[in-house]
Amino acid sequence: MTITAETIHFPGAPFGRTEADALARAARLEALLGDPYDPANPHGLRALFAADDRRVRPAETETLLAEAGLGAEFVPVAYGGRLTRADLLARALRPVFRRDVALGFGYGITSLFAAGAVWAAGSTRQRQDVADLLLRGGRATILHHELAHANAILRHEFSARTAAGGYRLDGRKDVIINADRADLQVVYARTDTARGPRSHSVFLLDPAAAGPGRIRHLPRVELPGMRGALFSGLEFTGAPVPAEALVGGEGDGVGMALQVFQVNRSVICGVVTSAAGTVLHSAMRAATDGREGPVAKRWHTPLTGVFADLLAGDAMATVVLRALSLLPAQAHLFAAAVKYVVPDLLREDLQELATVLGARGYDHAGPEYGALDKLVRDLPVAGLGHAGSASCQAVLVPQLRGLAERSWFSEDEPPSELFRAGSELPDLDYRLLGIAGGGDFMAASLVGSAARLAAARGTRGTRGALAGLAEAFVTELRALQEQCRRLPTSGAALTDPAVIVLSDRYAGIVGAAAVLGVWESQDGTDPFLADPAWAVLALSRLAGRLGVPVPDLPDGIQEQVLDELVRRYREGLSYDLDTVAHAL
Amino acid sequence: MTPHPNTPGKEGPLTTTVPTGAERISAPVHVSGPDAPWHRVREAMDRYGNAVVHTTWGEWLTAVVAEPALRPLLGRDWQRYRRTADPTVRYRFVASRLATKYTAAAALHTDPVELDLAYKIGGRPYLRGLDQIDVSLTHTDDLIAVGVSRDGRIGVDAEPADRRMSYELLSRHVLTPAERADLERLTDAERTAAMLRLWTLKEAYTKALGQGLRLGFTEFGFGADGGDLLAPDGGPAARGEWAFATHRVLGRYLLSVARHDAGLDSSRDTAAHTMLDEGFMGAVTELLY
Repeated sequence: MTITAETIHFPGAPFGRTEADALARAARLEALLGDPYDPANPHGLRALFAADDRRVRPAETETLLAEAGLGAEFVPVAYGGRLTRADLLARALRPVFRRDVALGFGYGITSLFAAGAVWAAGSTRQRQDVADLLLRGGRATILHHELAHANAILRHEFSARTAAGGYRLDGRKDVIINADRADLQVVYARTDTARGPRSHSVFLLDPAAAGPGRIRHLPRVELPGMRGALFSGLEFTGAPVPAEALVGGEGDGVGMALQVFQVNRSVICGVVTSAAGTVLHSAMRAATDGREGPVAKRWHTPLTGVFADLLAGDAMATVVLRALSLLPAQAHLFAAAVKYVVPDLLREDLQELATVLGARGYDHAGPEYGALDKLVRDLPVAGLGHAGSASCQAVLVPQLRGLAERSWFSEDEPPSELFRAGSELPDLDYRLLGIAGGGDFMAASLVGSAARLAAARGTRGTRGALAGLAEAFVTELRALQEQCRRLPTSGAALTDPAVIVLSDRYAGIVGAAAVLGVWESQDGTDPFLADPAWAVLALSRLAGRLGVPVPDLPDGIQEQVLDELVRRYREGLSYDLDTVAHAL
Repeated sequence: MTPHPNTPGKEGPLTTTVPTGAERISAPVHVSGPDAPWHRVREAMDRYGNAVVHTTWGEWLTAVVAEPALRPLLGRDWQRYRRTADPTVRYRFVASRLATKYTAAAALHTDPVELDLAYKIGGRPYLRGLDQIDVSLTHTDDLIAVGVSRDGRIGVDAEPADRRMSYELLSRHVLTPAERADLERLTDAERTAAMLRLWTLKEAYTKALGQGLRLGFTEFGFGADGGDLLAPDGGPAARGEWAFATHRVLGRYLLSVARHDAGLDSSRDTAAHTMLDEGFMGAVTELLY
């Protein structure tokens, strides 16, 4: 079953609100921010690393972003902003994240993560209030409810009890980004003491209206990561909340979190890969600095491997971000899988790049090599570590049996627009996002890709290697299907570790499907992406992670990928699917 | 590490001293096969967020020979076990995997047979699907040591304490200029001991990163007192997120541990069966059935 959302064009909006448009916005932002490696640039890496070191917000760069009207990126076009599709949003934001993940979160994207609930279920008035705030440069923050195995950021939550005229809010949470300066707060508060899917509700609060003594701002909490963003606590004591502050219906909070988190998860994956690109750039500098000849042989594997992973990560993120527009009822599954895979992939990549950087990686202040240390600290805060992975697994695990029984090897493939760069897609509509069921378009895509490649199986060369790898993932899906068919439908048995393990294997398999889909959709404009070499390298690494036996790669694959990597390094091009020019 | 709010008081922000490795890394616990006192692993996890165990492969021999569930216990390592012809190598291999799984199972409050011990591209072992703990494994002679941590990467390395590493032959390949300067000041016997200790620390650190010898040993170093990660010139290379410790175990091995703290103040609960959020699971399940 494949439900495709309709492409809607708002009256008066130009038809060209497409990738080209988003990339043009990104290029303007890139030019505004200037050369990251120029030590005199106030928005360069030296200045951003220094702000991080002093644990202060990079004020000058925040002002620049405010003047550029970045807040409009988080507001749907219907409310006067520039938000059309999540994949375009991620592209427009990459210049910021490429320089500083903490700036990306602290300046802005937190506002979108908070506003998501309002775009999903808010009243017209609430939508307009949030839109007006963000368009004039204000901020919203999100007060999460506590999830299983919560870390500092997800720990503790608020509770709301009914009172005359609405609710009273109580509770304390210690680690909230922008708690000190957010003009609006989106609170996922407990409204039912019973545990379960109806336990929480969402409220849109104006802290200025809470009344004296009802909100206490708690001291700043210093995390080792994102030191240039400010985390602090909030305590509510019987704070009155008017009935009209409720977003959606009472008890809708958990479902709304599942709707909104899939956008947040996917956007995070779509932007942090660009931050890892900056570290790859520094590793390329380390491998070529002061060297006349080619890159030393011992660095070929880590450098090309990480480059292939970044392309794979971008493929996964881009496909899921497009799916949010094109297949909104079904994107939840792949959103959880991608968020489960990508941060871990990047964490491994940073460690691999640490070998290339060697002692240079300890030059924390310098723009040339300081990105590794910073991203190692920032990435866990962005991805939320184990609690982040586990919240994705909680979405995947209960669906595996149904998928094995009804979806895998029997569904139709998704429309090709899902993979093709430049396709016209419907706008993102949070209200259409499903939270369970609807089948598995990525598993179907994997099976389709493997079938189209089948003729090349067993042949020599890169196409044959790709065909073999595609088949290996299909075999893995078949083995997973056998195991998942035997799972219980629900209940405590689903929390057995041996069951949870299956969600890891599942995520790795559908991640591979995105690589194949993106490779197949190439029209030849980019000869490197159209050649199977990068996809073979990326899939061999994904297969290795799954424990799937990987045959020896054909000769020349690594060299081909390395040539492109060196070209992009020398020409200042991004290490992603867009190959865009960076400010140098 | 617990995020420490700078609680404003009369004296201004509190200054906290960075604890040494010994305060942040659990002392190694001896385990003697599958029936070992596993509660000690859970106690160490509760107290330090990590646990280090050591054992000898002989202590697992009965289990290896008698274990009816060896194949499911070994999982994907079963094939490698079967392919290994040399019985000593075989037993050591299986004992090290069992020790890792039992240790991890203790930290995850589950049964070892439920776990899938897998390997990352660089060879670092991990528990598939259960990223609340990181693991590291080392063996030398008859010693096996395993480290587990809930705060971030962990690496362990052991060497026989009487192993002699030639300073003259190896120092330029293994030590940074700052470390060589430190060691030059020592007597021959002290230098040999210091060299071995640094070697195990370097192995432990690169194993924590999952990179082993791919990260050049002269690219990073340790101070004379062993606690801090240093750049080759002796300058600081970290901000206290790494902790290191070296212990002598069984009287004849040097065991070093490197532990990273990603700083998220992760949940003290590392049990596998509590990790899936009930609300999320419930909301998804409700729509499916």
